[in-house]
Amino acid sequence: MSDDDGYRKLFVAESRENHENVVRNLLVLEEGSDDEAIAEIFRSAHTLKGMSASMGFHEMEHLCHSMEDVFDLIRNGHTAVEQDLIDVLLAGTDVIEEMLDDIEGGGDCSSISSSHLVADLEKYASETTEESAEVSDASESCESAPDSFKLTITVDKTCAMKDIRALLVLQNLESLGTIVSSTPTKEDLEDGTVPFSGEMEVEFVSDAGMDAVRSAALGTEIASVCFAGEVQPEPDEPDTPAESDTVSVKSSGLSPAATVTKVERTEKSEKVREVKNLRVDITRLDQMMNLVEDLVINGGRLKQIAGMYKIKEMDESLSMVSRSVSDLQNLMMNIRMIPLNQIFNRFPRVVRDVAHHDGKEVEFTMLGGDTELDRSVMDGLSDPLLHLIRNGVNHGLETPDEREASGKPRKGTLTLSAWREQGNVIIELSEDGKGINRNQILKKAIERGLVQEEGAATLTDQEVIDFLFQPGFSTAEEITDISGRGVGLDVVKSTIESLNGSIKVQTELGKGSRFTLTLPPTMAIVDVMMVRINDRRCAIPINGVVEVAKANLDNIHKVGTSEVIMLRDEVLQIFRLNEMFGERPVSEIMVVVLYKGNKCCIPVDVVEGQQEVVVKPVSSVIGNCRGVGGITIPGDGAVVPVLDVNTMV
Amino acid sequence: MIVDDTMFMRTLLKNILFSGGHDIVGEAENGEEAIALYAKLKPDLVTMDVVMPKLNGIEALKSIKGTNPEAKVIMCTAVGQEQMVKLAIKTGAKGYIVKPFQAPKVLEEVKNVLSD
Repeated sequence: MSDDDGYRKLFVAESRENHENVVRNLLVLEEGSDDEAIAEIFRSAHTLKGMSASMGFHEMEHLCHSMEDVFDLIRNGHTAVEQDLIDVLLAGTDVIEEMLDDIEGGGDCSSISSSHLVADLEKYASETTEESAEVSDASESCESAPDSFKLTITVDKTCAMKDIRALLVLQNLESLGTIVSSTPTKEDLEDGTVPFSGEMEVEFVSDAGMDAVRSAALGTEIASVCFAGEVQPEPDEPDTPAESDTVSVKSSGLSPAATVTKVERTEKSEKVREVKNLRVDITRLDQMMNLVEDLVINGGRLKQIAGMYKIKEMDESLSMVSRSVSDLQNLMMNIRMIPLNQIFNRFPRVVRDVAHHDGKEVEFTMLGGDTELDRSVMDGLSDPLLHLIRNGVNHGLETPDEREASGKPRKGTLTLSAWREQGNVIIELSEDGKGINRNQILKKAIERGLVQEEGAATLTDQEVIDFLFQPGFSTAEEITDISGRGVGLDVVKSTIESLNGSIKVQTELGKGSRFTLTLPPTMAIVDVMMVRINDRRCAIPINGVVEVAKANLDNIHKVGTSEVIMLRDEVLQIFRLNEMFGERPVSEIMVVVLYKGNKCCIPVDVVEGQQEVVVKPVSSVIGNCRGVGGITIPGDGAVVPVLDVNTMV
Repeated sequence: MIVDDTMFMRTLLKNILFSGGHDIVGEAENGEEAIALYAKLKPDLVTMDVVMPKLNGIEALKSIKGTNPEAKVIMCTAVGQEQMVKLAIKTGAKGYIVKPFQAPKVLEEVKNVLSD
């Protein structure tokens, strides 16, 4: 990893945190003035500016700078927080996010233009530049007493804050003697009211001697120190005043917002700040995890060897080692866990935008954002959740007028909550909207030929709702650019399933709907059934296994090219997996697996048992291998394929 | 000793200072930490960010200077913070460096302040 890469990663990671902080606090600010939120925003914007400048991302720096200017005005009470100002600022944060994406991808964000936004922001920070008197040039001849010096000090023209350099020089000189006068005066420099050209004249009394005075005056970024009588170098061209005091006063309070977003107030910035974080690249954690797994595997081998020689002391120390190793493994799993807030934090903004767009009033509450999930699960979760939330506001909740007409409060509620339950993580999104209309779904389902008209009435509510998860199924009358974009509920469902999770919907007409996602906290460790086929071991993920049955081989029939078996009045297709394990006589032990409602069975020689294993991806050398989801290495060091029921069946 | 609330800036500064042959004895993320760490380490030099959570650089500087008048503190600043820096200089900061940091300037300032 090159230095630059390292900086870039750190930059992106920290910038994202600051960016999120700005967005979160802007939304707080939208609810009403909040000094703490303003201070947080200002600090984050300032940090973003400083960091982007350091990396040379000028486009981003400019944008952050003009946002910071506006935040400064807000902070000082020079401008009021209005709806349209918040909109512009939020638009700014969107562009920053875009820039960060670009930077993360290796770009320098110069292709992303922010000039229109900068112009908008500058409108808010109307400038009142103060052009004032030039520095008078005093150049009378010097009537130096033995200890009196007349100095002309020139600050380097590349210096960023010339007046402060000059102040430092004065301060240094003061430690050697007495300053009789200076042009500009110390007070002028401190106030910053008079622009400083970079040249300062000082009359100074000291008994330290010329050399000492010269070295005291010659600090960093001081181009020259001339004593009266010496030849002066070419003066630098005066610098334009770098910063102008900007004042703009806007009256009018916050216009009634179409939405008010409620974020859990209790866990505000303090909590985030107090956690002592160590930033570690996820790939390093994976490497560590791999090493720990190797330890587990080799520990198992050692145990076997020790068992062969029956050395008691060795057995004892080995069991101590394996305990440490399993603690280490658990610890590593825990380190990979991150709080859901990482993705939840974006949602208040989404709700706000969608509600704005649709003219709806939404009270959005998030609970349980500190529930933790493995990184690998978290990565896949963001888009499906986003879709559900958009759907909830877009299709679920009614407009304020409609709500009032049906006797509900004008403001709809949308609640996103998460908690742990029996080793799983449950995420629930509920709203008190109009609910899902069974007849509407049935009508669409019949239109699309998913069900026959006569059979429709006999379907259970759950079966009807399941139609929603069919590809291309949408009950919305028109496709909006908000929730009609890209993924549908079918994609949501398949994404959740690919994370080994499930999704459930409950709905009541007129009262609202509730989507419940059940997810495993981690994907790396999977419960599998170890089986032996043709004397080779393989693992089948337990969540795909329905049952293990002993079949009567007489019940096997050929249907077309495939074989089926009658098992308790069900006809199941048999997968012999000959390509994988070689030709062999079919055994009577059948593992019945389920995928997307289709059952089928795999004949196996022996079921060895159930165990938790770490599944590793198939190496890139082998490439994609249909039917194999990954490999695992149990204690004896053998490499065992883990079957991927989804692609097999 | 480096005081800055972002790891990014600390890393950047650390590498610049390393390249100049300086050792970093400690890092702090905010003013409060800086004060505690200063009392413990008594470093030759502190680079202090101005805008930080909890306790900003100026307050931290005041506190450090209050108990250790000889402390050498360089303020890390950005364009737009002139008044803050002036306040810091009045409070006793020995120098300042401006973000984005340029290695030669940072090292020159550090050298000058250390040799004072």
